Amino acid sequence: MSSIQIQNVTKRFGDFTAVDEISIDIEEGEFVALLGPSGCGKTTTMNMIAGLEDVSEGVIKFDGQDLSHVRMQDRNIGFVFQNYAIFTHLSVYKNLSYGLEVKKVEKPEIERRVKAMADRMSISHRLHQPAASLSVNEMQKLAIGRSAIVEPRIFLLDEPLSNLDAGFRAYMRAELKVLQHEFGQTMIYVTHDQIEAMSLADKIAIIDQGKLMQYGAPLDIYNDPQNRFVANFVGSPRMNLVDGELREEQGALRLMLHGGAEIPLAGQVKADFTSDSKVHSGSFGIRPQDIYFGDKRADHDIKMLGKVEVLERVGPKRLAYLQVQETMFLAFDEQAQLNVGDDVPFYLPSEASMAFDLDSGRRLGGQ
Amino acid sequence: MTELANNSKSMGYWQRVARDGPRMGFWFILPTLLLLVFIVVFPLLMQLYLSFTWWTPLEGIPWYQAWEVFNWGENYWFMITDPRFWGALWRTVLIMIIAVPAQFFLGMALAYLFIDQFPGRKIFYSIMLTPMMIVPAVVGLMFFLLFQGTGPVNDHLGLPAEFSWLTDVNRAMISVIIADIWQWTPLMFLILLAGMLGVPSDQLLAAKLLGGSNLQNFIKIIMPRMKTVIIIALVLRAVECFKIFDLVFIMTKGGPGVQTETISVFLYKQTFGELEWAYVATIGLSILIALSILAVKGLSYMAKK
Repeated sequence: MSSIQIQNVTKRFGDFTAVDEISIDIEEGEFVALLGPSGCGKTTTMNMIAGLEDVSEGVIKFDGQDLSHVRMQDRNIGFVFQNYAIFTHLSVYKNLSYGLEVKKVEKPEIERRVKAMADRMSISHRLHQPAASLSVNEMQKLAIGRSAIVEPRIFLLDEPLSNLDAGFRAYMRAELKVLQHEFGQTMIYVTHDQIEAMSLADKIAIIDQGKLMQYGAPLDIYNDPQNRFVANFVGSPRMNLVDGELREEQGALRLMLHGGAEIPLAGQVKADFTSDSKVHSGSFGIRPQDIYFGDKRADHDIKMLGKVEVLERVGPKRLAYLQVQETMFLAFDEQAQLNVGDDVPFYLPSEASMAFDLDSGRRLGGQ
Repeated sequence: MTELANNSKSMGYWQRVARDGPRMGFWFILPTLLLLVFIVVFPLLMQLYLSFTWWTPLEGIPWYQAWEVFNWGENYWFMITDPRFWGALWRTVLIMIIAVPAQFFLGMALAYLFIDQFPGRKIFYSIMLTPMMIVPAVVGLMFFLLFQGTGPVNDHLGLPAEFSWLTDVNRAMISVIIADIWQWTPLMFLILLAGMLGVPSDQLLAAKLLGGSNLQNFIKIIMPRMKTVIIIALVLRAVECFKIFDLVFIMTKGGPGVQTETISVFLYKQTFGELEWAYVATIGLSILIALSILAVKGLSYMAKK
């Protein structure tokens, strides 16, 4: 078990910068998710930790020890590949024992540990069958077991759930969490699925185009995104983010949206937008579940008028698509009171709204 | 008649192909079939026939009248008791059991170097393959010149001109084997590299991350996956090596004496030197039968695995 310090790490492939000055501190025993869209550099970051890729600049330390010159064979890292990389020409037993055999562990000891791990991963009934005959779900377990059996310092998982069917994925998500507690391992988990990251990780590092966008606990990231990218990326359904020009007339500040609609800013969010006088175009963010209908609940809440375009059932709730001129707002129709085609007033609570600078994507004001 | 014509008109194109297909196929392959009869079956029968006679081109009778000198298989007895035949066979096998494993290990080592990307990989790859592109006779001539007493090999090793390679009883064979290894290691390399690249790279990475050394991973992960490719490469080279002729003939003509005489060279000498065509037919047929049995046994063994 180790802590990991990633310090100003950059990775270049020719002219292309895949990872740009990323710094992440991971505590011992922490479960960290690297989250981002495809091609954002999260897998490259993980490969650098494992030693599969060299670091162009910066250092990666385990327990404060620089690993740049340690071969990947000697880093003692458990790595679960996206496609599992099971040794398909060997039996399940031989797959599990490989890491111990190459370290010349005593035969009886190997047998004991392989049996225990197979029991733990509930694949003992397949122990003497060829690994190629396993189902994808069993391969997943085998891949994790094969890495865990050598008791690595850290555990790296590269999109381990993306090949599984939906039902097993939910099961495996819970299982992974249990395993992580059991092993007490430092785990790094690469995923593009924010739900996986939110439900599994102690901390999430959100990466976009090689840059670290935000690093923190899932709820902090959700409640307090530091930039427009994170706000847009985290949360399901996505946050409403509407862009427009800021216009001040007679003391009133309005966000003029493309297509003619406008938001009369008030309260906290108005203060956020005015916190930097250089900002002239901004992005207004509000999560769908914060929008409400009916009576105004707070003084500064912003009243809007929209037309219900579509109602979509999501589980027990209904999602309403509200059209304001050419801008669409997403809200939850909690009481099932809306009908398609209705013109309804709705409120954007000022306290729950977020302000972003459109040019830099930076959060304005904020808590 | 009209009904039939109508019928065939009403049939779809593919239906007609399906009906006429087998018959049409026969006409398509007939020329090849005839060709095969003339170049395979006919010579084989002729060989079998001649091997039971004393016939030589000097006999004064055409080959089809060879029954006049029928000898009830005495050629076979002569072959079994002919030390020159057994010597040639042994030397052929000797070249095979030294050159083929050497090519295998060299090819494997080189292929291993070429798994990873490195600058200039493509150029080195092309250079590596040149020896096998050269006509064997030219390679023979090349090594003939290299191994001269006053040639570059002695020059570089600082050996005197009296230190002969091609005319020395032991070193002649070594020279031939070196030439064969030089020419055919690239083929081994090519086949083995293809096999090695077929091993999924992520499994290799996984093995490395589990702490396996390069050697352990090579033996336990790469080799078992290459089994088929290895067998194919070895069989291919062994069969080719058995037929070795050009190199030997140009470098040593089988000499000194018969020190480098292989089966092919021996047959050549018997055919064009001694004109013992019936005896050549006997040896050729015997080797064909022996190799066929070996091949069938080998294939069925492989199929079982």
